[in-house]
Amino acid sequence: MHLKYKMIVPLVLVLSAIMLYPLAFSGWLSFQDYRLTRIDEVHPVGLENYRFVATDPAFLNAMRNTLTFVFGAVTLELILGLSLALLVQRLRIMRGFVRSILLAPMFITPIAVGLMFRFLLSSEIGVVSHYLGLLGLSVDWFGPQMALLTIILIDVWQWTPFMLLMFLAGLEALPKAPFEAARVDGAGPWLTFSRITLPMLMPVIVVALIIRALDAFKVFEYVFATTRGGPGDQTVTIMYFIYQTGFRFFRMGEAAAAAVMLIAVILVLVVALVKFSKIDRSKG
Amino acid sequence: MFDYPNLGARVAATIAIILALFLVLFPFVWVFLESIKPPELGARPDVWVFTPSWANWQEVAFESDVPLNIANSFFVAAVTVLISLLCGAPAAYAFSRFRGFSGARYGILGAEMMPPAILILPFFLLLYHLQLIDSRIGVIAAHLTFVLPVVTWFLIGFFDEVPKDLESQAMIDGFTRFQAFYLVILPAVRPGLAAAAVFGFVLSWNDLFYALLLTGSESRTLPVAIAGFWTFRGIEMGKMAVAILIAIIPVLILSHSIQKHLIRGIGGGAVKY
Amino acid sequence: MAFVGLEGLSKAFQGVEVLDSIDLDIERGDFTVLLGPSGCGKSTTLRLIAGLDSVSRGRITIDGRDVTALEPRLRDIAMVFQNYALYPTMTVEQNMGFGLKAQKLPTETIQSKVGEAAELLGLTDFLDRRPGALSGGQQQRVAIGRAIVREPKLFLFDEPLSNLDAKLRAGMREEIKHLHQRLDATTIYVTHDQEEAMTMADRIVIMNGGQIEQIGTPEDIYFRPATRMVASFIGSPEMNIFAGTMTDNGIDTGLGILTKGPGAVGTKLQVGIRPDDLQLVTEDKKLPEGPTIDCRIGLVELLGPRAILHLRAPDETELTAVVSYEDLKAASGETARFLIPSSALHIFDDATGERL
Repeated sequence: MHLKYKMIVPLVLVLSAIMLYPLAFSGWLSFQDYRLTRIDEVHPVGLENYRFVATDPAFLNAMRNTLTFVFGAVTLELILGLSLALLVQRLRIMRGFVRSILLAPMFITPIAVGLMFRFLLSSEIGVVSHYLGLLGLSVDWFGPQMALLTIILIDVWQWTPFMLLMFLAGLEALPKAPFEAARVDGAGPWLTFSRITLPMLMPVIVVALIIRALDAFKVFEYVFATTRGGPGDQTVTIMYFIYQTGFRFFRMGEAAAAAVMLIAVILVLVVALVKFSKIDRSKG
Repeated sequence: MFDYPNLGARVAATIAIILALFLVLFPFVWVFLESIKPPELGARPDVWVFTPSWANWQEVAFESDVPLNIANSFFVAAVTVLISLLCGAPAAYAFSRFRGFSGARYGILGAEMMPPAILILPFFLLLYHLQLIDSRIGVIAAHLTFVLPVVTWFLIGFFDEVPKDLESQAMIDGFTRFQAFYLVILPAVRPGLAAAAVFGFVLSWNDLFYALLLTGSESRTLPVAIAGFWTFRGIEMGKMAVAILIAIIPVLILSHSIQKHLIRGIGGGAVKY
Repeated sequence: MAFVGLEGLSKAFQGVEVLDSIDLDIERGDFTVLLGPSGCGKSTTLRLIAGLDSVSRGRITIDGRDVTALEPRLRDIAMVFQNYALYPTMTVEQNMGFGLKAQKLPTETIQSKVGEAAELLGLTDFLDRRPGALSGGQQQRVAIGRAIVREPKLFLFDEPLSNLDAKLRAGMREEIKHLHQRLDATTIYVTHDQEEAMTMADRIVIMNGGQIEQIGTPEDIYFRPATRMVASFIGSPEMNIFAGTMTDNGIDTGLGILTKGPGAVGTKLQVGIRPDDLQLVTEDKKLPEGPTIDCRIGLVELLGPRAILHLRAPDETELTAVVSYEDLKAASGETARFLIPSSALHIFDDATGERL
């Protein structure tokens, strides 16, 4: 066997065992009536799970919540991250120090982030709510209407730093000459940004968007730490839905079908995003 | 602080940066203060001045399972990273150097992006049948599903940057290709190996989802333990704050050390800066 | 028998033939330079000799041994790469001794050999440094030192000087040539720089499009280029080449009837003359035989005592001439008379490009 195949053998073996096999298992599971509570009565049901999940209002609600969450969080993170990157790049003192602090949130465990905000924003004992109250403002962060937005904001707190990291590196790597040429040509800051910085940064932006969006689909910890899906089902995300279906109601078959459909949705979005970014680049 | 030409812009930028720093730092400061608040003040959001008390820290250290949770988290993360490096490094080298693996790079990326939702069900059922629920082996296997692809992807980017002439030289110097790989190329990407190891460690250390569903009292990791304080409401706040600090401080120190290399790793050779 | 032999050597990358059945013999102790434009196959040839790429067809022998299928480490060769390929994590001493360690030589032997080589190359003071702390020229020396401590049968150089600045390059050129004479080692050296080739080589192999155009001494290559490609590739400024047809009176070109040449009447030809061979006609100079033409002078590039003239012949053919600036009486825009010495003409077959 050629060395190149020998060198990938360990990886292939491990990934087959921990990913390919479970994936196939999940695929099989999605066609079974598989309830942990009735483990002796497992039997194939064809497409029944898919039919059930696809028409289940709870699943559709979770999908809608997730899409809202992903779109809202990633958009805010993109805008904030880009703005911060442009600011930090122009810092003349303490740049390394400021950058290190601003990047910190992305490294810590999401459950800790969720819990910190659970208590900072708590309407009874939360510091934030307490001082907003002194200002005469009363915000029920985890109440109806607000809860999903609050979870989006928690995600923004933790993951804007990721965008900042990507964009700072991207900005630092841009060639200097076009900017000097723009200054000589008398282009103002906005023109320079929109015609030079942004187009040159585009590949980095697309990659950062894809990575962040895919990651945002997995949101679970913040919901688990704060609302547990409530109020009602306003903050049930797709991961939380699958967690509930599989491990609260023990309906494994339906959970598997939901997971397969999640992957389908993600694939469609990735392909669309890549296509879109390619069209964009060929134009500009 | 800024080099903008007009004063208004400088002031606005300074305010924006200070606001951002405040928003980022405030939760950290708060959680630290919570951890040293005397337990009887735990639920009061308006008390900022008090005599520090180490009661919470002592209780967590001596009267809770947190030390066991730390040991579990550390063991799981360390073993996961070790296996990931052993399997990932040679494979990443092959993907970087040999023809015919361009599809494999995207396979790795796909594996990295795989939602845990679809893997957790078979993992749970399988470990359940093998009676490995509440074992660290199960969590390690689960964590490998994302740490191994990430570490491999990371290293591809680093190997891509090592000039190919380096192993050509070693092969002419009298070594086999595999010797060239571990005697010359691996040492040359040492910073990359360290960065990948740290990043993988942090990912495993931070995971809640798999650990929540696959561990029990014996194998519980720190994030699951932190989540456990919630059920006891306000009175446990101080101890939860201690546990949170224990979970995040090592990670902040570790990740600070690899900041420089992080971008190259995340890009994995797909983004050329 | 030749020391290094290539027989019908071919290499295809993903179906694209980059080396097409090369035959080449290299004698023991020779300094052979592979020269050609980029993409001509010269580096591929070197990498095949080193064993870094696999051979598609053909055979390679070194010192009578068929090495075609051998791994690089078993071929007893040393190679210096364009970017030096120094091991970044090792000191200069470790870099130079690495190949000897592969041979499992005792530490003292390695140390003394590395010490000798370091002395030879003036690296003694740098033995403890890492490559990153060295200048480009010093890194280059380490790369060469690493090659010579091995005492290999064959030295391979892949454009080793192209990353150095012009001044260092000239110095290193001499040093490598000197080392070659001292070590008397067979050397194959790849470059795209003709000056390097002309000054260093015992024999030059000119390559183009995956094939060998000409093998010869620097004199052969310059004065008797075997093909039109070699003629225009070697020499600066480039040789003037124009079309002609064989007639009863001589070669009929746009510049008039030139010397009688070889070949049957009606043969299409390419005629070349080096810019240095075009003679400016002045009253006091004795000139050889040949037809003359009046050319309008365009741009004049002054190179100290000599000048490059860009000329336009009456039929609009563009020519280049190199003349003594002292002799040049006419200015840009004026006309001057030039003689085309018959003896200096290079005549090639238009169809095959081969010298007639």
